[in-house]
Amino acid sequence: MFATKRLSKELIKIKEHLPPGISIVKSDNLEEWQMDIRVLDENPLYLNQIYRLKFTFNNKYPIEPPEVQFIELPTTSETPRPIPIHPHIYSNGIICLDLLSSAGWSPVQTVESVCMSIQSMLTANSRNERPPGDKDFVSYNRRRPRDINFMYDDDNI
Amino acid sequence: MTNISLEDLLVMEANCDRDETVDLRSLDYVSSYDDHLMCPICHCPFIHPVRLKCDHVFCQKCLVSAIKTSAAAQDDFTCPACRTPTGGIYLKLPRLLVNMCDEIRVRCPFRNEGCEEVAPRVFIQTHVDKYCGYRLMDCPLDLCGLKTRKKDLDPDGRCLHELHQCARCEGNIMEQDYEEHITELCPNLQTTCPDCHTTILRRELKQHTDSCSETIHTCSASKYGCPIQLRRADLATHEQTCPLISMGPYFDAQNARLDSLELTIRHLKQRNEIFEDGLANIRSTLAQSPTALVGSDGRVTASSPTRRNNNDPATSSSQSQIDSSNQYTATTTNYLLSLHESLREEVGQLSHAITDLDARASMAIMSECLRIKEDMAHTNAALGSIRMQVQWLLNPRLHQHQSSQRTGGVRITTPGGSNPAAAGPSTTTIPLRPRRLSDSGREGTKL
Repeated sequence: MFATKRLSKELIKIKEHLPPGISIVKSDNLEEWQMDIRVLDENPLYLNQIYRLKFTFNNKYPIEPPEVQFIELPTTSETPRPIPIHPHIYSNGIICLDLLSSAGWSPVQTVESVCMSIQSMLTANSRNERPPGDKDFVSYNRRRPRDINFMYDDDNI
Repeated sequence: MTNISLEDLLVMEANCDRDETVDLRSLDYVSSYDDHLMCPICHCPFIHPVRLKCDHVFCQKCLVSAIKTSAAAQDDFTCPACRTPTGGIYLKLPRLLVNMCDEIRVRCPFRNEGCEEVAPRVFIQTHVDKYCGYRLMDCPLDLCGLKTRKKDLDPDGRCLHELHQCARCEGNIMEQDYEEHITELCPNLQTTCPDCHTTILRRELKQHTDSCSETIHTCSASKYGCPIQLRRADLATHEQTCPLISMGPYFDAQNARLDSLELTIRHLKQRNEIFEDGLANIRSTLAQSPTALVGSDGRVTASSPTRRNNNDPATSSSQSQIDSSNQYTATTTNYLLSLHESLREEVGQLSHAITDLDARASMAIMSECLRIKEDMAHTNAALGSIRMQVQWLLNPRLHQHQSSQRTGGVRITTPGGSNPAAAGPSTTTIPLRPRRLSDSGREGTKL
């Protein structure tokens, strides 16, 4: 109840106005939304690319964080959506960001603010690499993002 | 202000047994509210707001649930908004904030049952508790478990959820709805068409009125003033001949034009008002200045009262019906305008005089210049002739001196000579020599 009420309020606001580079793609229910984000500056790593984020909310949102990850749409589709290359984004779309963990989350955050944080995380990056151990993680990980114990060691992000 | 710890807050919240049946967060907020009045956690206007040391405000309930679920220990709990360590909670907030949140208007939560009440949020609890007839109450019969609207409750405490079968439509209707059903809602109820007076079933009434040939309709040109009201059957023949229908498009075009004209008129009126305001301002400043003007300029005092006197009888005779205040403003306006006119004339005269004077002065200067130039030429000529004469006069003397120098040089080398007659002229000629030399040098530069 709490979650749906809050999400419907956010949705009304999002449909009125969103910051540049962020748009809502799918919000037909109050459990999973999809957002498209775009890096605004001339960062050559992400130039002219649009990425898709998937938000999954549980009924304790916003007290508990939503699950947020990038999803990939094949290049052959009408709207190709790759996974952005970033030292904290695994190639399966899982994002290592303390904001999205239960320790770093704050109920004050909204879908909009999370999108903006990820947008700025991409903007600030200049390293064209995946996280260390990406291959192993992607092939062995069967856990959901929220259950993974990330080490948040990079304070530059 | 009282400052309590997090622990106390949690205990308080646990003990706090608010007798509230209305969930204020799930209400339908009618009036829009400022974002600053919104709890950042639940995005509703603050409900029992509390304040942290960092001045961030949250609903008490939202903050408690954030504390409970935060991963960190209670002592390390940080403000959800700015992550400052909390260090105590203030329960008292400015009445202003609480009032602003309380007066936001909401709909009654039993709107789906038919309650149309819209009230400030602070009163909605009382409304639901005491006045709302649509609130769902438990059935007096314990076993039943169904709900009844408050206004439908049986005074004798009977259960109203027993099913009755409607004799006409064979549907099963609960007792609480039965009366309404058989008098109004049953689709098999017989009604009569208000126009053709045939008796039909209620469920068919709508369909019937759409096609009933007896229903009285107005001509489709009624908005242009056609007064004809006919049965549907006759209306078609009328509409073929109705002159107003054929003129309809023209009326529409004219209406559109009128609308646009009205719009322009409104704009012009607004502009006019602005200009009038400006004029009034100018007048008021003018009304203050005449005394100053009159004091400074004697001619204005002389001219303006006469003009005013000239105006006075005319205005009083022609505007005798108009009330005195109007007249007063009219005369002052006239007076001011005449004042303005006379001042303008005066300024014009002055500028004429100034240009005249200017021309005269420049002419005088010109002629004076010419005269002076002529004089100068004369003087120059005279000077030249005088110089010639002086040179002519000096020349023989120069020669004479040079010859005397040749003979007198011996005399100079023997100054203590015994001839006083010869020594006399030599002493007079010696001082003359440098002067002559300098004179000749000056001549060279001058010529």
